[in-house]
Amino acid sequence: MQSDGKKIGLCAGRGYIPGVNIILKSVYLAARERGASVIGIRDGFDGILFSGDYADGGTVPLTGELVEILDIAGNLLGAGARRDPFRLQSISAQGMVEEIDRSDELIEKIRDLGLAALIVIGGHQTMSTLLKLSRKGLPVVCIPVSAENEIAATQLSFGFNTALNFTADMLDRASHAALAAGKIGVVEVLGAESGWLALQSALTACADAVLIPEFPYKPESLAQHLEKKLCGGSRHGLVVVAEGASVVPLAQPAQACAGPMRRSLAPLAQEGEGRFVIDRTGSAAETVCRSLQKLLRHETYPLALGSWSKGGSLTAVDKQLGMAYGVAAVRAALQGSTGTMVAFEPPDIDFIPIEQVINRVRCVPRDSIFLSTADALGIYTGGR
Amino acid sequence: MSLHDKNSAISGLVINIQHFCTNDGPGIRTTVFLKGCSLRCKWCSNPESIHPKPEIAYNMSKCIGRKQCGFCLKPPCPEGAFYVLDGDDDRVRINWDLADQEPQNLADVCPTGAIYLFGQRMTVEEVIAEVEQDSAFYQESGGGVTISGGECLLQPDFTAAILEEAHKRGMNTAIETAGNVPWEYMEKVLPHVDLMLHDHKLTDPERQRRWCGVDNVRIKQNFKRAYETFPGTNFKARTPLIPGVNDDDEHIESVLAFIRPYANVIDYELLPYHRFGESKYSYLGRVYELEDFNAPTAERLQHLRAKIDSAFGRDSQG
Repeated sequence: MQSDGKKIGLCAGRGYIPGVNIILKSVYLAARERGASVIGIRDGFDGILFSGDYADGGTVPLTGELVEILDIAGNLLGAGARRDPFRLQSISAQGMVEEIDRSDELIEKIRDLGLAALIVIGGHQTMSTLLKLSRKGLPVVCIPVSAENEIAATQLSFGFNTALNFTADMLDRASHAALAAGKIGVVEVLGAESGWLALQSALTACADAVLIPEFPYKPESLAQHLEKKLCGGSRHGLVVVAEGASVVPLAQPAQACAGPMRRSLAPLAQEGEGRFVIDRTGSAAETVCRSLQKLLRHETYPLALGSWSKGGSLTAVDKQLGMAYGVAAVRAALQGSTGTMVAFEPPDIDFIPIEQVINRVRCVPRDSIFLSTADALGIYTGGR
Repeated sequence: MSLHDKNSAISGLVINIQHFCTNDGPGIRTTVFLKGCSLRCKWCSNPESIHPKPEIAYNMSKCIGRKQCGFCLKPPCPEGAFYVLDGDDDRVRINWDLADQEPQNLADVCPTGAIYLFGQRMTVEEVIAEVEQDSAFYQESGGGVTISGGECLLQPDFTAAILEEAHKRGMNTAIETAGNVPWEYMEKVLPHVDLMLHDHKLTDPERQRRWCGVDNVRIKQNFKRAYETFPGTNFKARTPLIPGVNDDDEHIESVLAFIRPYANVIDYELLPYHRFGESKYSYLGRVYELEDFNAPTAERLQHLRAKIDSAFGRDSQG
């Protein structure tokens, strides 16, 4: 199908996932096959709203030559800042700091570029913003990326398999180290709201316990489980804990949700420095260690993988997925199926309205095959 | 006592009126907190005061769940603004991107107050009526009314009217300000002020921009001009002391050098950093960026206060 010289825009949302360049390549090639061209936009929407800050004006026309030499592990366009076009901090003419809505300006400038649609590579923090832009008439298609695989309506987000591969490798090493030391290693992995990465990687390492946000755990039960294993002759243990795992009962009532579903743009955020919350990686592992240490004679020690999981080379699964998502996104953009997210529902890739993706987290269900496998292997999986 | 006619039509956006305050000026005072601020200090303990318009906050611990309620999941609340996750926990979550319309309507639907509103419009008359309740305490203690915020000078007509009416009723008046406003706003309000508490947050303009959103060039100009234009008004300088940011000797000495030439700057106070307002960030769906900051040590505080006491010719407090 020829697309008569249509132009598609492409940018990346907030956060970092390795290998976004493979999606760039896929989008470019798929668009070229259909007679369309692709304009890359730097740093999310910054390349449009702050174009003067860039030597090249904030946009990069993708060419065959450029795409050929891309490092597949990288991200040519840069990740979006933690900036909300509906609430952008700026300084008024009167020298006062304020938040202003520049979404209309963004949409107008995208139209001025002559873009038929905008493909955004993003996680679920990006989705609500895209929905609002879509409702204002911007034709958007989203490609889901997530190291935690918590984006709803798709079985697999781009980036998860790579993170899983790395995490599994690191858990093997942690297990060997714990064995050599005769201790209990508690390894914290990504997973603020869903436990897929923790659960699946724990299975690969045949960990003794995996603690995930979906099923709060009791330290006493966990300790009992480990004690049983240690009394049976084993000298070491491995506990995998997702960042968002919690204890039963909760020490205090849950606060209003300020996790990944929170609204990002606070008046506190500003350009350049100071956009980022100080990293809290490691606190989940430390918490589990401290609680176990009070209950067990064996020594525990915490490790945290954190952002290590978001680097490195792509696995073959993610490379294929990136290619497939890029092709599907181009098809959606050119046929007018916008306001959607491309989703992998084996064996197909569908276009899901963004409304069906927001406000949902792809959590581990009680009847998950991964959970039943873990149970059958004697792995502690929390208080279900 | 009735209001001046010109003040009766004026209203403003108020977050809170707090009685029995002892740290916002002399004596026992009532502090009126106004909404809206022209800075974005990363340590702000009143995040609800920053945006100039009414906004909602959400405390999930007060939600009784979809089964028992669920009013916010239906119109007039915008679709998708509130939702429930799959699973056993049926308490409502809020999507802050989509819950950005008609805050009063959103707050009104919640029977438990889990969704509530920051920012109510009040008239001068209503504020004065509230403030006057404690007149007896003001007289006994030398207290009065303080207008704070946010930045109270962003509502100059409202602030000036309240203070004018307060003076008419014999109350002592004070304002708390960071000074980042057009001079005209300050000039309008200061004739009605007995004491201006004002912040010297940072010395270096670029560091001020980084930590507070904008530099301090105009702020310092305003303060200097205020000291000189209103010699009969008392001024009290303050620094919110943030470890690692502005708790160095150089900043304190710089502020002392700035204020000491003026006899009407009667004191300089250090306000130790605290995190009492941290939970409000999550209630507003925002990120508190100073999660790993701690209060200044007692030793550091004592050292810096001794400098100030020495500059003011006082014995150091023990």
